Amino acid sequence: MYFILEYSQFIIEGFYVTVTMTLVGLAGGVVLGVLSALGDVYGGKLLKIIINSYVEFFRGSPLIVQLLIFYYSIPAITGVKWDALTAGSLTLMLNSGAYQKGYFKGAIEAVFKDQLIAAKSLGMTFPQTLRHVVLPQALRIVIPPWTNEYVSLGLSTSALIVIGIRELTNVAVSISAQTFRPLEVYLFIGLIYFVWITLSLKVLDWVYNKVKIPGLAVSEVM
Amino acid sequence: MEVLACKGLRKVYGDLEVLKGIDFSINKGETKVIIGPSGSGKSTFLRIMGLLEPPTEGKVFFEGKDVYGENLNLNMIRAKIGFVFQDPSLFRHLTALENVKLGLKVVLKMSDEEATKKAMETLKLVRMDEWADYYPAQLSGGQQQRVGIARALAMDPDIILFDEPTASLDIELTWEVIDVMKDLARRGITMLVVTHEIGFAKEVADEIVLMDSGRIVESGPPEQMLKSPKTERAREFLGRLLGGV
Ligand SMILES: Nc1ncnc2c1ncn2[C@@H]1O[C@H](COP(=O)(O)OP(=O)(O)OP(=O)(O)O)[C@@H](O)[C@H]1O
Ligand SMILES: [Mg+2]
Repeated sequence: MYFILEYSQFIIEGFYVTVTMTLVGLAGGVVLGVLSALGDVYGGKLLKIIINSYVEFFRGSPLIVQLLIFYYSIPAITGVKWDALTAGSLTLMLNSGAYQKGYFKGAIEAVFKDQLIAAKSLGMTFPQTLRHVVLPQALRIVIPPWTNEYVSLGLSTSALIVIGIRELTNVAVSISAQTFRPLEVYLFIGLIYFVWITLSLKVLDWVYNKVKIPGLAVSEVM
Repeated sequence: MEVLACKGLRKVYGDLEVLKGIDFSINKGETKVIIGPSGSGKSTFLRIMGLLEPPTEGKVFFEGKDVYGENLNLNMIRAKIGFVFQDPSLFRHLTALENVKLGLKVVLKMSDEEATKKAMETLKLVRMDEWADYYPAQLSGGQQQRVGIARALAMDPDIILFDEPTASLDIELTWEVIDVMKDLARRGITMLVVTHEIGFAKEVADEIVLMDSGRIVESGPPEQMLKSPKTERAREFLGRLLGGV
């Protein structure tokens, strides 16, 4: 097993790329998800159609195909050149945003209508109501489903291998090819994914318990 | 001085005419109680008077101004009309104190310190100051309803509208809420209350208004309404409500 340590530099770099791409995809996905959810709940007809077409495309096709489209097809059609990291980040953000939209929409709709009317009766404007009533509750309610999205996206980053990004899985394939020891290499890399995701789950769980409010939880509103 | 009034108010949902032409007015310091059978349009009437939805036809006046006729800032008027709902409708992510403070800070632009002081005073009036730091889910229905009253009251509104505030409470909790409301009436707060708590009406109302099928059938001071109503419909409804005749 010790031979793997010789490659620790590559593994650390690959892990760094994996984590960074996950976080970039999630962060972009939160912004896209919140905006799409707000648009779908409160927006006009045309906006709803646009948002839902976007969501269906990204939820209805394989991530690998999406990556190939963004890296090869779009530059070929538009003539705009971008590198693999840019194409990969964009795809992950759009993909994650499409899933997160669903979670945020559920959370926004779970903020009972009666509270919106109560806010109106106090003379609050719609943006004030969003900011002080809807979002603080929706963002809390969304944490558990959002945790699932984190796990799912984190593990899906291995698909980035198809556009040549040097993330953890890609690194593993190279090491295995050089050492002819796939058994140990893939087991070791699998273990890294496992430890990373398990620790992340613990942290997210802790955050959820920290901001949770009595009577305000997914189980109680959905 | 007239606080809130309406003229020729009609409301139609689809093919259903819920309000069929209502003229009404309430003066500063008055308490009026609206009664009437289920489905007669009481809640709809109150929501329109609270500017929570517009009428299909007719006018609403706030302190003499035609609310929808002139180009007024509706939110500024809503801030002056308190509303207490049948379900307390508290903001679930905020404590009792924060529920009362939110409107003060966001709408009336009070500083945090001012808002805390005002909110605590108001919670004391409804006897909820000891529960200031509890979340809605940790309070009983009656306690939540008193926080709802404090939330409306703290804004120093010119009138408070109540839509059956005790309808979902059991008898004991009803009393604690009704007591607080009687207190407010005696302090001279202008109140328009949909309720079937006849004891409340008898003690503090200046007028009882009977609504039926989208119309005001009869109105008058409690003694007269309860003892010798003029219309057959009022006799029938009150007879059933008072459990006699
Ligand atoms: N938003 C709405 N859309 C369609 N119909 C409505 C709406 N709001 C009320 N109605 C209908 O209008 C009628 C009057 O309802 P409203 O709630 O005003 O009566 P109410 O006198 O308050 O009754 P209750 O004593 O049961 O509370 C009912 O038939 C109701 O179904
Ligand atoms: Mg009603």
